[in-house]
Amino acid sequence: MHWMTPYIAGFCLLLSSEAMAAHGGLVCGSCHRPPGGSVVTAVRAASSLADGCVVCHRGYGRIFDQSMAHRKGEKQFVQRSYARVDSGFWEKNCSSCHLKSCLDCHDEGEPKKPTVAACQRCHKGYYTGWDYSGRAPREDNMRYQRGLAINDETFLKMLPDVHSRAGLTCGDCHSMSSLSQGKKSSKGCIDCHKPDLKILEHRISVHMERLECYACHSAWGAQEYATFFLRFRDPKMKEDFDLKAGPSEDYLRSSYLRKQDAPPLGINDRGRISPIRPLFIAYYTDIMSARNGGPENTLLVAEWRAWFPHTVQRGSVTCERCHDNPARFLLEPEAGRIFQLKKDRLQLESFWVQEGQRMVNGSFMSANRYLRMSSKSPAYTKAYIEKWKTLLNHVENSSRP
Amino acid sequence: MRLSALIISLLACLVSACTLTDSNRSTCLSCHNALEHASPAHDDCVNCHGGDPKARNKGTAHATMRGPANPSAPDTWEEACGRCHRYQLERVKSTIMQTNAGMIRNVQLTWEGEDGRTYTTTGGKQFAADGQPVEFAAVEDLDNLSGELYRKFCSRCHVGSSNAESYGAAHASGCAACHFPWNDTATYQGRDKTMKGRAGHSASHAMIALPDTQVCSRCHNRSGRIAISYQGLYDGNNGLVPTSGGEGGPLMTSGARNLTSIAPDVHFAAGMECIDCHTSRDVMGDGFAYRNMYLQTEVACEDCHGSGSQVPRYRETVRENEESLRESKGYKQPATSGMKMIQTSKGRSYSNVFYRDGAVWLQGKRSGKLHRSKVITGTPEHTIAGHGRLECYACHSHTSVQCYGCHTRYDKGKRGMDFIKGEETAGFFSETEDYRMLYPFPLALNQRGRISPVTPGCQTFVTVAEADGTQSKTEYVAKFKGRQQLRFAPFYSHNTGKKSVGCSECHGNPQFLGFGQHIVEGNSIKGTLICERSDSKPLDGFLSMDRGRVTAYSAITRENARPMNASEIKRALSVNLCLPCHSKAGDRIYRKGINLRALDDSLHRRLLSAP
Repeated sequence: MHWMTPYIAGFCLLLSSEAMAAHGGLVCGSCHRPPGGSVVTAVRAASSLADGCVVCHRGYGRIFDQSMAHRKGEKQFVQRSYARVDSGFWEKNCSSCHLKSCLDCHDEGEPKKPTVAACQRCHKGYYTGWDYSGRAPREDNMRYQRGLAINDETFLKMLPDVHSRAGLTCGDCHSMSSLSQGKKSSKGCIDCHKPDLKILEHRISVHMERLECYACHSAWGAQEYATFFLRFRDPKMKEDFDLKAGPSEDYLRSSYLRKQDAPPLGINDRGRISPIRPLFIAYYTDIMSARNGGPENTLLVAEWRAWFPHTVQRGSVTCERCHDNPARFLLEPEAGRIFQLKKDRLQLESFWVQEGQRMVNGSFMSANRYLRMSSKSPAYTKAYIEKWKTLLNHVENSSRP
Repeated sequence: MRLSALIISLLACLVSACTLTDSNRSTCLSCHNALEHASPAHDDCVNCHGGDPKARNKGTAHATMRGPANPSAPDTWEEACGRCHRYQLERVKSTIMQTNAGMIRNVQLTWEGEDGRTYTTTGGKQFAADGQPVEFAAVEDLDNLSGELYRKFCSRCHVGSSNAESYGAAHASGCAACHFPWNDTATYQGRDKTMKGRAGHSASHAMIALPDTQVCSRCHNRSGRIAISYQGLYDGNNGLVPTSGGEGGPLMTSGARNLTSIAPDVHFAAGMECIDCHTSRDVMGDGFAYRNMYLQTEVACEDCHGSGSQVPRYRETVRENEESLRESKGYKQPATSGMKMIQTSKGRSYSNVFYRDGAVWLQGKRSGKLHRSKVITGTPEHTIAGHGRLECYACHSHTSVQCYGCHTRYDKGKRGMDFIKGEETAGFFSETEDYRMLYPFPLALNQRGRISPVTPGCQTFVTVAEADGTQSKTEYVAKFKGRQQLRFAPFYSHNTGKKSVGCSECHGNPQFLGFGQHIVEGNSIKGTLICERSDSKPLDGFLSMDRGRVTAYSAITRENARPMNASEIKRALSVNLCLPCHSKAGDRIYRKGINLRALDDSLHRRLLSAP
C-alpha cells in the first residue's frame, strides 16, 4: 500500500491548502509520519497524540502529561462521589472532554493558535471558559432551554469579561508553553496591570495583601447548588423528567438552584481570598430503586473550590456586599435563610453554611475572621463613605492597563 | 365535558344495577345513599340539583338536573345557589375572579394594546365603582392574539370555568370552585360508592363554607404564585429535584412543576389562612365591577398593624344587620353587637378582626384561633423620614418571585383548546422562560405613589408562527406607553417576614433600586445579566446608571407607577454616607430628612479625618 502514499498526500494538499499555507514548505511526511514510522498517519490519531507535531514543536507534547489530558482531579472527584454508586459513571458522563491530540484544539485543516471558540468546545457549561464570552448555563428543565446557543447548547447572556471585549483570546494568558508545563496560566493579573493606588480599594493594604484581584473584579460567577444525577435503568422512565438530555443514556442531570451573581468568597490554596463555588454538592438518585422504596437524593459529597471566574470588569461590588454579608462567606445566619433544605431532605441546613461542606483547594473563612472583617473600624467607615461619594459624584477607572 | 360526565354517570349507574325500591323517599338515595350532605342546611338533593326525585330510572331522574354535577356553575347558578344566596351571587357576578377584567386588560397591554373597549369573560352590564352602569364586551369577541391567549391559557383559572384536568390545580366552576373541596386529581373520594373514584368531581360532597388555603392554591399558584409563596413553596427552576419516590419532587403541582421549600409567610407560619386577611368582598366582590384586582382588594397591612403615624381604625357594631355579624355566623366565635371591628382600607368592617383591651386581635375564621396583631405605629423603625412612602412589604418581604423573560410562541399551524368557547380552534400557545429568582427584588413606585416591590409583569417576547411555518413576529416586544419596552408590575409576594430587609442591605445594594445584578464602576452601575436583544440592558432590572446618568428602559404598569428617578435614586444611595455610623433605625438623624451637609461640619470632618 505504500505506493498510494504520494497520491493520498497530494489529495490531502488539494483539500487542505490552508494547512499548507501555515506549514508552507514542509513535506507531508513531516507531520503525517510518526518518528520511526514509515506510514502516513492522521495527525489526530489517538495513538500518536502529538507525534506528528512535536518533531518541530518540541516540548509541547508534555501537554499530554497535564490535567487536560489525564484529568486526575476530575477522576478523583468521581472516585470519591459518583463512582461509589456507579463504577461506570466516569465513562458515561465525563469522558467527552479529554484531550487526545493536538488537533482537538488546533483545528484540522487550519492548524494555528486555538480560537476562544476552540477552547470553549470543552471549557463550557458550568466550567470556566464560557463565562469569558458572557455565557452562563441555563436551568436544566426544557422550559429554560431556549434562546442563544453555541454548538446546540443554550446559555444565559451575561456581561462578557472585559478582556474578551477587548479582543484578547484564551491563549494570551494561557500560553501553550505554560499549559505544557502544567501551569494554569502564563500571566497573572499584575503581569499586565499595575494597581492604581488612586483607586480607593487599592489603597487598602489588606486588600492588596490578602485578596486575589478577581475576588473583587469578577463581576459574576456561575454557581450550581445541589447537582443531581438521576440514574435510569429503563430509558422509558425518563419521560416523566422534562430535562435536557446529557451525554449518557443512563442519566439525566439537574440542579436545585442556579445563580450567576457575585459568587461566595473563601480562602484559596495561596491563602488569598478568592471566589468559591460548589464543585459539586453532589446528589444521586437511582430512579428504579427509589420507586421500589430504595434510597434517593443521597448526598455523596458537598465540595467547594476556589476558582477564577473569567468575568473580569473594571468595577466591583460595593463594600457591604462583602463586609456586611456573612452568607457570602458561608456564614449565613438562620434568620436570613430563604431555602429550607432540611424540609426538602437535602441533608444540609443551607448551601451558605459551612457545616457539612468542605473546601477542596483551600478553606472557608472562619467566623472569627469574618467578625473582624465586618467590624466597622474608623478606617472602614472613612473608606466606605469615600466609596459612596465616588459613586454619587464622579468616575474613576479601577486600574491602569 | 358536562355531557360526557352525564354519560359516565348513566353508565356507572347501569353497571351498579341501581334499583329503586322505596317509592316514599327520594330516588336519588337509591344510588347515592352515602353521599355527604352539602351541609346541614343543604340536605336536599333537588333544591340545588333539580331533577326528578320520584323517577324510577336514572335517565328520567337526571334529565332535568341542573349541571348535572355542579348546579352552581354559571349556566345554572341563578336557579341553584342564586335562589337563596342572591346577595352573594350578584357580587360574584362582578368580582374580578369572575370577570377577569384585569387579566384580560393586562394581556391586551402586553400584546396588541387596548382597543377602547373593556372586556370581561362574559360581557354584559354591571356597575362601576362609582355606581354608574357600565357595559362590558365579551372576551369571545376579542378577535386577536390577546383574546386567544386569555381564552386558551389564562382562562383556566377563571372562577366560571371548571378545570378537571390539571393535577394540583383542578377546581369546579361557579360557587363550587371555592366552596367544594377538590383534591389534586379531581377525584371523588367520599363515602358514596356510586361516585367513588370518579374523576371530574370534588373530593367530597361536603361543602366548605369557609375555603381553606388549599382552595385558593388551586388557582393562585401561577403568575404571581402568591398562594404557594405564602405557604413557603417555590416552583423555581423546575429542576424536578430532589426526587420523591423516584418521581419529580419534592412536591409536584400543575404543569409538571415541582415545588421546593422556602421560608413561609409569617402569617402562614402562625396558622393563618388566606381568608383570615382577605374579606369576602376581596374575594367574592362587593357588587361593583373593577378594572383590576388591586382596585377591588380592600385589605392592607396597615389595617391591622397601623402605619407609622396612624393606629388601626375600628368602628363599633351597633346594628343587628351589620355585615360583620352576618358573615361571622359560621366562625368558631361569631362577632357580636358592640364589638369594635377593625376597618379595611375602604372603611368597611372586618368580620374577624377587632379591637379589645388596647390590642388588635384577629380570629382565624376556620380555626377560631386568636392572633394578637402587633401595632407598629410610632416605633422608631417605622417613623424614619422618607419611609412613609414605603409599602410595608417593601421591607417585610422574605422574597418576591421574579420570572425573567417570558417567551410566548403562538403557532397557527397547531390547534389549541379555547376554554371560553369550549372548542378546539387553530392556534396553539407555548412558553419558555429565561430565569427565575426570589431575592433581592427590585422596588419602584406603585399606583399609590408608594415604593413597592415590582416583578416582571410581563417581560413578554412574542413569536407568531403562521400556518405555513413562516414567522410573522419573532421575539417581538409590544409597545407600552408609546414605545417598545418590557414591563414590571407592582407586586406583593405574600411571603412576608417579621424581620425586614436591613438598612444597609437595601440602601447598599442597587439591585433593590432596579439595576439588576451588577457591578459598580466609578459612578456607573453595569448590569451583568443581559437581555438577549440588547448589548447592555439588564434583563433583571429596569434602570442603568452611566457616569451618574440614570436611565429607565422598562415601564412599571398601572397608572402613575414608575421607576424611581435620578433624584430619588441618589437620595436612596446617599443614605450610605450615614449608615456606617448611624446604623440604628432609632437614630435621631432619621427622624427628619437627612442633611448630607452635616458631613462637612467640624465634628464629622474631625471624625472622618482621624487615622
